[in-house]
Amino acid sequence: MDIGIIERLLRSRQRLTEDLGISYPASYKGEEEGGCGVVGFCATEPVAARHIHEPSRQMHNRGNGKGGGIAAVGFIPEELGVTREVLDTFSMVHVAFLNNGVRKELEEKYITPCFDVEASSQLDTVDDWTDIPSLEAKPPDVMRYFVRVKPHVLDSFIAKNGFGQLSREDAEGEFLSQQSVRLNQEYYASLGDKKAFVMSYGRNIMILKVVGYAEAITDYYKIDDLKAHVWIAHQRFPTKGRVWHPGGAHPFGAIDTALVHNGDFANYSSVCEYLAQRHIYPQFLTDTEVSIQIFDLLSRTYKYPLEYIIEALAPTTELDFDRLPKEKQAVYRAIQATHIHASPDGPWFFIIARTLEASDRFQLMGITDTSMLRPQVFAFADGEVQVGLICSEKQAIDAALHSMSKDDSRICPIADRYWNARGGSSTDGGSFIFTLEKGEGGRYRMSCTDKFGSPVKLPSGTEVADLNGTITLSGGNGDGIASGVREHFDSGVAAVFHFFTENMPRWSLADVSRACEGLIAVAEDSRQFAGAIEVLTLLNDRRYDGGTKKRKHILHIVRTALRELFSRLPSIAEDIPASEFRLVNYGSRNLLREPHAGETTLVIDTLGFPPEGMDCNSALLVDAYVKGWRKFIVYNCAGQRFTGCGLGPQTWDVAIDVYDSDGDYLGSGIDGLTITVHGNAQDQLGQIIKDGKLVIHGDTGQTFLYGAKGGSIFVLGNAAGRPLINSVGRPRVVINGTCLDFLAESFMAGDPFAGGGFVILNGVTFDDRGNVVDLKEPYPGGNLFSLASGGAIYVRDPHRYLVRQQLNGGDFFRMTDKDWETILPYLQENERLFGIKVDDLLTVDGKQRRPREVYRKVAPAKLSATAEIESDEW
Amino acid sequence: MEGSLAKESARKDILPGNTTKTLVPQVEVARVVKPAPPRYRNEIAKYIIRRSSDCTLCGKCAEICPHGVHVLKPGYKLFSAPHLNVCVGPSCAQTDHYCIDLCPNKALQMVENPMLKAMGDYRWTPDMLMATWRMAETGEPPSPEYGYDYQTGASGGGLDRLRFKFPEKPPVELSDDEIDTSIVLNRRDDGRPQVKIDVPWYGGGMSFGSVSNVIQLSKARAAAAFNTFTCTGEGGYMERMKPYDDHVITQIATGLFGVREETIQRVRIVEFKYAQGAKPGLGGHLLADKVTPAVAKMRETVLGISLFSPFPFHSVYSIEDHQKHIDWIKHINRRTLISTKVSTPNDVDMVAVGSYSAGTHIVHLDGGYGGTGAAPDIAKKNIAMPIEYGIVKVHRFLTDEGIRDKVTLIASGGLRTAHDIAKAIALGADGVVVGTSELVALGCIRCSRCESGRGCPRGIATTDAELARDVDVEWGTQRIINLYSAWRKELVGILKRFGMRSISELRGRADLLMHLDYTNDVETR
Repeated sequence: MDIGIIERLLRSRQRLTEDLGISYPASYKGEEEGGCGVVGFCATEPVAARHIHEPSRQMHNRGNGKGGGIAAVGFIPEELGVTREVLDTFSMVHVAFLNNGVRKELEEKYITPCFDVEASSQLDTVDDWTDIPSLEAKPPDVMRYFVRVKPHVLDSFIAKNGFGQLSREDAEGEFLSQQSVRLNQEYYASLGDKKAFVMSYGRNIMILKVVGYAEAITDYYKIDDLKAHVWIAHQRFPTKGRVWHPGGAHPFGAIDTALVHNGDFANYSSVCEYLAQRHIYPQFLTDTEVSIQIFDLLSRTYKYPLEYIIEALAPTTELDFDRLPKEKQAVYRAIQATHIHASPDGPWFFIIARTLEASDRFQLMGITDTSMLRPQVFAFADGEVQVGLICSEKQAIDAALHSMSKDDSRICPIADRYWNARGGSSTDGGSFIFTLEKGEGGRYRMSCTDKFGSPVKLPSGTEVADLNGTITLSGGNGDGIASGVREHFDSGVAAVFHFFTENMPRWSLADVSRACEGLIAVAEDSRQFAGAIEVLTLLNDRRYDGGTKKRKHILHIVRTALRELFSRLPSIAEDIPASEFRLVNYGSRNLLREPHAGETTLVIDTLGFPPEGMDCNSALLVDAYVKGWRKFIVYNCAGQRFTGCGLGPQTWDVAIDVYDSDGDYLGSGIDGLTITVHGNAQDQLGQIIKDGKLVIHGDTGQTFLYGAKGGSIFVLGNAAGRPLINSVGRPRVVINGTCLDFLAESFMAGDPFAGGGFVILNGVTFDDRGNVVDLKEPYPGGNLFSLASGGAIYVRDPHRYLVRQQLNGGDFFRMTDKDWETILPYLQENERLFGIKVDDLLTVDGKQRRPREVYRKVAPAKLSATAEIESDEW
Repeated sequence: MEGSLAKESARKDILPGNTTKTLVPQVEVARVVKPAPPRYRNEIAKYIIRRSSDCTLCGKCAEICPHGVHVLKPGYKLFSAPHLNVCVGPSCAQTDHYCIDLCPNKALQMVENPMLKAMGDYRWTPDMLMATWRMAETGEPPSPEYGYDYQTGASGGGLDRLRFKFPEKPPVELSDDEIDTSIVLNRRDDGRPQVKIDVPWYGGGMSFGSVSNVIQLSKARAAAAFNTFTCTGEGGYMERMKPYDDHVITQIATGLFGVREETIQRVRIVEFKYAQGAKPGLGGHLLADKVTPAVAKMRETVLGISLFSPFPFHSVYSIEDHQKHIDWIKHINRRTLISTKVSTPNDVDMVAVGSYSAGTHIVHLDGGYGGTGAAPDIAKKNIAMPIEYGIVKVHRFLTDEGIRDKVTLIASGGLRTAHDIAKAIALGADGVVVGTSELVALGCIRCSRCESGRGCPRGIATTDAELARDVDVEWGTQRIINLYSAWRKELVGILKRFGMRSISELRGRADLLMHLDYTNDVETR
């Protein structure tokens, strides 16, 4: 009977485990794993390893320095001392030696008898590992071998296992994989005192890991300048205290593949069972290792296309499943029935880098779990050099892009698009894949698709700025544009902004730059500082027609100009006559003092401040508040956390404006003050907010407004997963985009007509001309207002996309005049803040409608008859 | 009072002005034992004395009884109901004032109170309940003549099968005032203030909602008297608690009810509640009946709707999230210590070491024996690891990792008596958190109807204004002070028998314990 190749592969692995004496374990106990910081990027030009430095450093607080790792795919052969042919046809094997004494023995046992070794070398290192501060233990010595399986060895392997149906390449892959298991079993898994293990194997791929922070690797192995198309890095937070070798650190590899993982599985043992039934056993006892084992099994043994692999890992459920086409449902149902035990349960996010069959195609992908319990951001920077990025935090993306743009002026520090994936969804499948392929003229081009193969849409602009030359910001004002700026200044900020937007479509990027220079020149007169900042801020925040210019390049110019303006402000250290603004930075933080007469605004340059702790810029802000400062501008942020937290109650007279990439927990707990974020914001914003105002000119991350109790909150873009969970009291929120899922679960915010809270979800976005347009649907998630007992959600849903299935405990109610009166002031403020006109919102398919034709109200199905809260009895 | 806040830290130097702004003058409560008789005329007693019609009202019984059980009020024809709760019971037969024998007409008869068969449970036996009431009344451990078997329960396992191996006689003779029962709560040496509590326990988290504000206030006042802490639980911070800020732990639990920057800034310790040992993985529940207008207002929710706190924190799915969470609170309040309350899953040792590395000062393990009637029966003691295993596991693991003395380990979950406290410490905890015992001191009879709004017959676990009036704050405070005093005396007694000068010497001395089922030691009395 022909048993088929899958069965043959499984049987072959069974013989392998029997050979090695690996027995079916009675129970599985994985190593405890905390969360982590992950970053991955890929580019059409090979980029140097040092670009993982800054994003990794900025995510130190996601690791604890007890495990870091990097992986790279797609090298330049000369840098590795081999020819293109060798790089493309031989496999790279990296072996880590924890005990150098075993090298000869190991090579004689596992390398030389079965492989033709084209080249081998020990990775160069610095002399003394203690010179590198972010290392905690001596990293292993690493040997790199370029190998092919000896033809006669492969022949007998194929014959012995009946692998005739496999291509020789696949058979070679299986041989390498089994050889790696053997080696790891003898020198790692079976020993208490570990001696050596395989870090990575496959074509054009390398993994390195250390006990320390990830960026220490490039320093220690002296590969700062080593270039590759794809890089991933991982900061680990193992909870066990003593770690002396990096065996358990990420990434983990399988043939041609490297994977990092943020999160942990609740069903580690069930996943191990599933694998054991297929004769695959973990050797490093972490859930990351089993993740790559599953991925490898589905991809190489079952030969599933990527879409099905992702479905097996993060199944599509609930409403999303119902929304799939019938044919897809049938396939997915079969996948789920067969592989549900391989689906990791709990919070996880994978970044995977791999070489594809042809060995000159590379992929970088991110996959999130169905519940989206870990933070994740994707970005695509288009241009002559294209860059795709996947990170735990947006600021890490910015850091990587910034670092790369310093090396290569064709890369803009701002991406064309930033977005989140919606886990296990029918819309994007919770996964995005960047694929690098050689295009015309042998140059690499990149595409980005979701799980279903649909490409990610980018803004249409094509015109780019020469980042070396255009933005000189000399302050020169010799031409018409600059004088135009100056003339309009007399008529006020709105007029200047109008001058900009009116001319923007036809201006070149050089013109934009000149106009910004004009603004800076105007601000030479310190009385005009505030106006110039306001204009640049509007240019940064608002959407307008940029013509054929890439929006990110306009933004880059505007933000460069803003930073330039801020840096010209008088320092707190200077003893010069009073000005409205005072600048404080890390160097001058100890000179912080009370505001003098006439000084109103403290500008904090956050460069160099740690992201948390007693020395962070948010602590400085608290100190400044205590000293009497009330207005703040915070800029140059790179993930610094807790902005606006800690000022205590009754802070109505405080306003904070935040520029660049601010960090998590911004505005959590505020009680009165106003915070404006001029760009995208990160995770956990506005938790337990009591009162005040939060304005976000962009998207915001996970668990937005968790446990919020009040305040007015305005978001230009989207909120990610689980916004407003467990919110009570009277928060009033406008979200102009949409949310991933679980909006306002357990919402308990009273009666909107009696001071209670509500959310207005507009479901709109902007087109490339800056016009408001509808999203495909206002709310794609399967759970809206679940288990809520108070408050309401007003969804702009003129086409009636929302269905009752999305509600669990809520119901649709007719919009009354009273409802409209309640929400109108917030829509008007929304118009003032973002320029999204109420009239535009009420316009559907070009026709003005009545509010109740456009908005739908979702409220608790069972409204309590006694919902009015009585007075306090004590 | 020893270790008052002002002496412990130069707080003003650490604090920015705005986080002191909310402080209100702190009220001191005297640590004085005063009799606090039961609030009901006929307190439940172990024995009942029945008087037959043979009684001639001669008054002999009232005359001889030194405890005042029999009362014949002047001008009354008949005896009042006897004060049975002060009667020592059959052991009185050995004395010269045993009324049953001395009654000239044999009109008196003593029987065991049949109510005891219906009262309490295996964990909280009737004897333990009555002994705790007695301590709350008098401030002394109950005299042996009462015959209460109260040092252990009757669960047949756990702490109830552990006994101390006392030496025949103490290695050194110590007097009471040589013995130190205080513990420190900050061992990180991280520049945050030291906090020392005079007794190795503090009060557990009970929200306004789960109990009435009178109960919360009584607990806080007793905590102030003993320079220890009580915890607000999840449900907000009452205005009336503010004079006791320095002895209050405010809790941040998964529902974030009532948590505001202002409440975080008031206190010296903030507790993150990840799970409760009585119902790990189930979040928190406050059923609709208890969501009265005052509770709904405090939590800013809808009147009469059950409140469920999720499991887990939606913002914390990993250790680095936990660290961020802690950093946030440390940022909001620069002087506060952080306590992380977790239940006892199998990998509790990893949880503990992870919490430590995330920056917590106190690791609080909540085992599965605790829980009031509000925790589902199916969950109580069926999910979390028994606390006696959890403590040892964590204590040893922290010791092996070399960080045991960098973190304070607090245990809770069904610790009912001073003996339980001592056992937990001998197993490896630095101190404990108590919950139900305080409620028992206030008259709780363990009827397990805490979840229902008007269900508490004793007006404790209720938010109903009328029922809550049953408890007076002064009385409640005194009852808990008395219980604490009695416990402290018992602890001192235990330490004396071991010749230990400090409670910290007992920590981790599991070798001083025997398990009646697993070791061959012979119990000493």
